[in-house]
Amino acid sequence: MPIDRSVVRARIENAAEYVGPLWPLKTFNAANPLGGFEDQPFDRAVQQAGQLFGGRGYPGPMAFRQAWANGDIDAEVLTRRLAAHGITERPEVLLDRMEADERAENTAPADRPLDRVMTKWLAAFLDQGQSAWPMPNRAEGFYTAWRTVAPYDRDIPGVEGPSDLPDTLVDAFGAVLGSYPEARWEAIFVHHLVALPGWTGFIKWRARRANTEWQAAHPITLADYLAVRLTLADRMGASIAPDRTDELPANGTNQPALPRIWLQAWEETYRTRLLDDLRQAQPSETESERPDAQLVFCIDTRSEVIRRHVEQQGDYETHGYAGFFGVPMQHQPYGTQERVKSCPPIVDPKHRIVERPAEQYWSQADRYDWWTRLEEAGTALVKALKDNVAAAFGFVEGSGGLFGGAMAARTLVPSGLFRLGRAIERWLPGPEAFCEPTVDRAPAADGEGGDGLPVGLSHEAKVLYAEAAFRLMGWTTFAPIVVFAGHGSQTPNNPYKASLDCGACAGNPGGPNARVLAAICNEDAVRDELRERGIDIPEDTVFLAGQHNTTTDGIRLFVDDNDPPVSSKGIGQLRQDLRAAQAGAAAERVETMNATVDAGRTDAATQETQRRAADWAETRPEWGLAGNAAFIVGPRALTREVDLGGRCFLHSYNWRTDKDGTALENIMTGPLVVGEWINTQYYFSTVDNAAYGSGSKVTQNVVGKLGVVQGNGGDLMSGLPLQSLMADDEHVYHRPLRLTAIIQAPVDRVDTIMQRHANLAHLFDHEWVRLVVMDPKQDNAFRHYQPGGSWSAHAAAGEEEQAASAVAQA
Amino acid sequence: MNESSTHGETEHTFHPVKKIEIIVRGEKEPFVRDLLDESQVSGYTIHHNVTGRGEHGFHEGRLLFNDRDSLVMFFAVAGEKTIQTIVDGLTPLFEKSSGVMFVSDTNVVRLDKFLQEE
Repeated sequence: MPIDRSVVRARIENAAEYVGPLWPLKTFNAANPLGGFEDQPFDRAVQQAGQLFGGRGYPGPMAFRQAWANGDIDAEVLTRRLAAHGITERPEVLLDRMEADERAENTAPADRPLDRVMTKWLAAFLDQGQSAWPMPNRAEGFYTAWRTVAPYDRDIPGVEGPSDLPDTLVDAFGAVLGSYPEARWEAIFVHHLVALPGWTGFIKWRARRANTEWQAAHPITLADYLAVRLTLADRMGASIAPDRTDELPANGTNQPALPRIWLQAWEETYRTRLLDDLRQAQPSETESERPDAQLVFCIDTRSEVIRRHVEQQGDYETHGYAGFFGVPMQHQPYGTQERVKSCPPIVDPKHRIVERPAEQYWSQADRYDWWTRLEEAGTALVKALKDNVAAAFGFVEGSGGLFGGAMAARTLVPSGLFRLGRAIERWLPGPEAFCEPTVDRAPAADGEGGDGLPVGLSHEAKVLYAEAAFRLMGWTTFAPIVVFAGHGSQTPNNPYKASLDCGACAGNPGGPNARVLAAICNEDAVRDELRERGIDIPEDTVFLAGQHNTTTDGIRLFVDDNDPPVSSKGIGQLRQDLRAAQAGAAAERVETMNATVDAGRTDAATQETQRRAADWAETRPEWGLAGNAAFIVGPRALTREVDLGGRCFLHSYNWRTDKDGTALENIMTGPLVVGEWINTQYYFSTVDNAAYGSGSKVTQNVVGKLGVVQGNGGDLMSGLPLQSLMADDEHVYHRPLRLTAIIQAPVDRVDTIMQRHANLAHLFDHEWVRLVVMDPKQDNAFRHYQPGGSWSAHAAAGEEEQAASAVAQA
Repeated sequence: MNESSTHGETEHTFHPVKKIEIIVRGEKEPFVRDLLDESQVSGYTIHHNVTGRGEHGFHEGRLLFNDRDSLVMFFAVAGEKTIQTIVDGLTPLFEKSSGVMFVSDTNVVRLDKFLQEE
């Protein structure tokens, strides 16, 4: 039967909705592994996903038992919710029952020869420079390349030569699908795509970026994957179509409801306590005097800790804004042709920013280049010697002492290594010290590379991004010093570094974006135009950029000390206060990391974080965003008096200055959505680490420089490693709760925004995120959004939600 | 049927062709682009950040920090056979994703710009 190529493609596109995209390690982006199910209510979505991926959708008894023992689940709330479902047993009995259910469900994973053969070829084809001997013919695409070499694979029966396999991709589909009606194709594709959700998620990511270097050189699509897999399944006698019973359940409420009720009780407890704290803090409505400095941090949950400590040091105001600082850019670091996306996963880059040496520092750049080239040549030589069969043995004999010494130093004295790194940095400053970003348009450079992005920003774009920043944060006063602080982590030998960097910068450090916005805001022409638009930045305000090291809590200011833009005394005081804030924040965080530090030494906590930042054997340099549970949109006055424990995303917003709701609309459709992606990734990685996480770092191996597998093969692992989520084998550190969004704004404004954004409303209607509004026009009363579009008063919210839930269950 | 119109000294002939308009969510833009690229259309136009109401509710365009959820509108002109191929490739998509397409009759003056070999 002839197969219509465009129909096959559309069916594959539909089937691929069930698989979330998987970014390569270097730009690890948080994403909801169940993103393809967000158009459905949470409960149904996790059941369908469970059927497809075999993953659990609710926390397990261990997490509940721990939360119960810690008092994180209010007994009264739990009892009330259980009673609404007619359950009257004691919570301890229910915990035992959930444990028994779990033991009964545990089954060993099946060994699937088709998956083994498939992953072997995918790893070979998709390799991004790790293998010494790459697969041949990759330029012709996956199906064609595989067809050429498949006859040499003894795991594939009955293939003597390429001619035994279908000539083209379309022929391959025709050969296998010919006996099935078109109505069945999608189910067949889903069945084979979800068998290896890691690899297929990665192909999905890569195929959509046709202009990336590896995809351009070695093209692969999900159609290639399916053509190879269906051909293999046919040859190896594996099933082509899923059993009818495997197909998606139309409506699934047949699962035991206990974990769902427990999770809701846990969430309600957290939410109620948080709202009580916010109410007791009593936000002040008075306008503040002009502070000494304003520091803008990313909305990231880690910023909340450092912000509290910065505020304690003096007359400092802190704010939260998406860590890409609203500049949708692609960044080209100094000395490389590599371009990295530096904006959130839901935003496409619109500008390319290139780092170029400032004219006065050309000699410094030359010196840096010289040493970098020497280092690169050394690395290349070592790799060549190691990989060369003849030279390898002699090389090891000759250089063993040297490398052994370096290894011993890295292992035994990582703190010394941290100090050594800083000494080297002082002696040979990195590109941040001598480069400046190409903020101005540079049309001559546009053509380099050919991805169509203009280099630099037009005047209009600059004004737009500067205005957006101050409108979204609702600024009316400007301090003499304003610091935009991006953030990045510091961790060697860690494939998951990107997961600890800025999620709003596609898993990269946010410093470059901060530098761009600071440079824009320092331009007179931009300020003149902002003034015309009602944003009056005083003459003496200077914008600085910086970067918060989330591993050590150190904040580096990108200031040229030879020519400081503000008085060196002012900078000196700020730096001193930031160091004091670092000590406080580091001490607070170290307490959560099972670390033993010398309590008698004041800098012990900072030193411990610095050791973690340099230790190549450290599996947990920091906690990242573990613990995230709420997203608060409002002025800092709401939260300034509350210790949120590093669990809240904080986005600054001023409902008074945003009369038409445009700022809030952009916050809710942008940063809040990204917050939901991060939250769901932590949630699912915790509730089922085998299905949605990536297992223990100890047994992980990097494959093809693009992802990790457990052991020596299998599917690409997609989510976060255990060490980012668990305190130890028996204790959960990330408490898996769905995000609660709390917005200070009039209810009708939020309602209007939701009516204009169906996709946003889905997140709340389908219970992926919980929404609470603090309405300043109603004496800051809390109003809880209920799925379907109604609002309930704070006191009644729990009961109303639970009544709706009981009806849905019935 | 070709119509003629005369304005002063120039004479333009109208040639009938089909026009397709497609509105999909921003995240489906690559899929539709690939489909159009592979079909025989000689070119197409894309409007980003389109606003409108559909079966699933309202979708506001003009978002500052979200390119995924805003709507994208394509339009292209070609002969009937080519438009039919595009429709075949889109129909299954709309079973799962939100979006619409409209096909209508239109006329062009410079036919060679729009019709490749079918």
